[in-house]
Amino acid sequence: MKLAFFQGCNIPIRIEQYATSLEAVLSKFGVSLVEIKEFTCCGYPIRNVDEKSYILPSVRNIALAEAEGLDILVACNCCFASLQKAKHMMERLPSLKAEVNEILDKEGLVYHGTAQIKHFLTVLHEDVGIEQIKKVLVNRYTELNLSVIQGCHILRPREVTTFDDSFVPKITDNLVQVTGARSLDWQGKLECCGAALSGINNELSAALLNEKVDRAIEAGAEYLTPVCAYCYLQFDTAQANMRASGQQSIPVLLYSQLLGLVLGIDEKQLGIELNSTINSRHISHLKSILGPPVEEKKKRKKKAKTTA
Amino acid sequence: MKLILALAFIIFLVGLVIRGKSWFSGGVGSQTIDTSIIQRFSLALKSVFGTLFSSKVINALTTFLTDIVLQKRLFQKSIGRWTAHMLIFTGFLLLLVTHGLGEGVSNALFSDYYATLQPYLSLRNVFALMVLVGLGIAIYRRVSDKPKRVQSYTSDWLAIGFVGAIIITGILLESSKISSYSYYQGMVEEYGDVSDEQEALALETYWASEHGLISENVTKPYNQELVEEGRAVSENSCIECHSPTSGAFVSFSLAKVIGPLVSKGDKFLYVVHLLTCFGFLAWLPFSKMFHIVSVPVSLLINGVRGFKQPVEASEASLNRQMIGLSACTHCGSCSELCSSLMFYESFQNDFILPSEKVQLLKKVAEGETIPTDTKEHLQKGLYICTSCDRCSTICPSGINLRELFITARYSLLAEGKPETALLSHFSFPLALAQNFVDDHLKALKKVEEQFKKLFQKLSDLSKLTISRPGGLDNTSFQSCYTCQRCTNICPVVRLYDDPQETLGMLPHQIIFSLGVGKTELAAGSQMIWSCSTCYLCQEHCPNKVELTDIFYSLKNSAIKKIDTGGDK
Repeated sequence: MKLAFFQGCNIPIRIEQYATSLEAVLSKFGVSLVEIKEFTCCGYPIRNVDEKSYILPSVRNIALAEAEGLDILVACNCCFASLQKAKHMMERLPSLKAEVNEILDKEGLVYHGTAQIKHFLTVLHEDVGIEQIKKVLVNRYTELNLSVIQGCHILRPREVTTFDDSFVPKITDNLVQVTGARSLDWQGKLECCGAALSGINNELSAALLNEKVDRAIEAGAEYLTPVCAYCYLQFDTAQANMRASGQQSIPVLLYSQLLGLVLGIDEKQLGIELNSTINSRHISHLKSILGPPVEEKKKRKKKAKTTA
Repeated sequence: MKLILALAFIIFLVGLVIRGKSWFSGGVGSQTIDTSIIQRFSLALKSVFGTLFSSKVINALTTFLTDIVLQKRLFQKSIGRWTAHMLIFTGFLLLLVTHGLGEGVSNALFSDYYATLQPYLSLRNVFALMVLVGLGIAIYRRVSDKPKRVQSYTSDWLAIGFVGAIIITGILLESSKISSYSYYQGMVEEYGDVSDEQEALALETYWASEHGLISENVTKPYNQELVEEGRAVSENSCIECHSPTSGAFVSFSLAKVIGPLVSKGDKFLYVVHLLTCFGFLAWLPFSKMFHIVSVPVSLLINGVRGFKQPVEASEASLNRQMIGLSACTHCGSCSELCSSLMFYESFQNDFILPSEKVQLLKKVAEGETIPTDTKEHLQKGLYICTSCDRCSTICPSGINLRELFITARYSLLAEGKPETALLSHFSFPLALAQNFVDDHLKALKKVEEQFKKLFQKLSDLSKLTISRPGGLDNTSFQSCYTCQRCTNICPVVRLYDDPQETLGMLPHQIIFSLGVGKTELAAGSQMIWSCSTCYLCQEHCPNKVELTDIFYSLKNSAIKKIDTGGDK
């Protein structure tokens, strides 16, 4: 399976380990990622200013992938939502589609709407499948409690994103469970990381972030796992700036890094040490809780059988 | 001629000093730093020596090899462009050492050097052809650039034209020397060992037949016997110091075609060729061609320092900024892959493209006065940037565009008009990097004040009148039945003890006010700018009111109102 990897603006310069870890993980399942140099920003940052300017870049990005005959893989929720929103609008507003295609025509591009936009979680969950992941596992976490931060723009509005059940999402939890880790039920799971307000209303942005960090720690999470570039930057980079001294903080592990370790990929290749909230102690802890790739319950059943 | 050369050389040197001086004075944001040209120069010297005597010197050497000699950055950008530049660069450089710097230099470099002997005769043509092919690719690229986003200025065409003129006049000069009778005569008189007129005629016939000479004394068809006799004479007295002119294959072929036209113009063309070269020398420091000096410097700094350090206003950053600005060749590489490319399409603001920003920032840095509306465009262009740093990563000249743009952004915001683009997510990476934190907050304050001036608050109203709803494409607000679920689920509302005090209006109140035709009131509420866009309200609304989408529309129209000065 070959997909165009839409990295957006944050991943290549601020979260390189997100791209490398994801590429390493997906290659284990025969999914190869293609770089399209001409991809631009998804348009998300301009949305407060002008809706049409928000749509245009995503339509062009989809058209670029279509020209290569590829579907798009996204690793950032906001990019994902922008691309899906563009598709949604193009389907509903033929006049806008014609207008945008006229602009694209200047560089010989056409938007057809044939390319699919896939969050990498969908690729792992649907295209690869949990069973396939299980087969490839080299390890499994024996004892690990995680708070997944699902993020907003991957789930809502459901008519646009069409990712998962927006009220009771299960894809991410299933993917966490397959690694042996436990995805905790916690209060901030489906809520906002505060990124959208950062630089516009810093206090509010920090309040939203701190609230999530506190709740995750209260719930007993050892790590926090985002599935979005913005959430990651909030929890990993901004967390250090925003937590008052003496306040406890929580280390952040990307889902691709979490999965990578149980697939037997080296932590250096996964770039875990590049996460600013992670230190060598965390890495040795993570490695120390790796066990054989068999589910606990089955083991117990087997034991029960043998003793009987 | 020598006098003109001396003059050109003096202008060249003065130009170098002037341009070099500009590296250590001025700069965008220099007003806030108290320093002198001497301080900045000595700082630069200190860092050069600091680098020379540290392990960083390895970085500098690698950069010299990969980025300057092999031009790796250009190669990564585009093989076509690299080919064009390499052809011009190496072709011109080789022409310079084998020909351009004069016989003295060439003799010192190559012990067997003789301008009329092989391989130098052919090499000159090879090198000239390299430059011409390179220029051809460069012209084609500028003309065929379809989206026409990056503009080509006179300065760009002038640089191509000047280099082309040197090469073309050189080739013409050589063609005319090949065909010129008077030049031939001069050579025969000086070097030829011709005993009688018969031999002279034979030699002339041979040179006309084989080496492109145009002579009135001999005409086609040539007497073959004379040709053979001439060949013998030539072998005795010419060939030792003059390889066959066909070796200069470009000029030789050209002479065959245009020989009759240029055969009498060798002296004139000599003057034209030399004047073009001297003119180029004098013009170089004041033009885009100065990049042959500034780009290697800029690349070396980039090789040693990179561009990822935190941005701060300092003397060192000003020096680097000025060197960088002088190193921009306006090649447009940055703009072709700019993440904000499509925003340029929707706003039609040239200054969204990095290459165009730099052109104007050069003037700003030199302290030139810029018209207010151009400056406002520049400010907006500087802000509509995703901070993806692709331009800095890609710049073939190694300019630290990230630092330049961030510094310029806050320098302009401090004096400019309130910038509504601050209210976009372009602010996110800026807040994350925590550069210019105070300046950012000050600039935000300015926009807030503009809001207060232009919009009424709910609490300002003594009574609420009802009018027809309007001004919004999204009419889903009409199905609201004020159950207040949106407000109850809002994670922002939840954070405040007295949310209405801070937020002005709560989500359900905004929807309600739209229903009674108070779109302006809704657009002016703090709530829409405090919305985290988490979409929880919209998702949970039992009547499918698209609250978050409506908030986005309100934000768009509020910004439009401020940008148009309240007319909308």
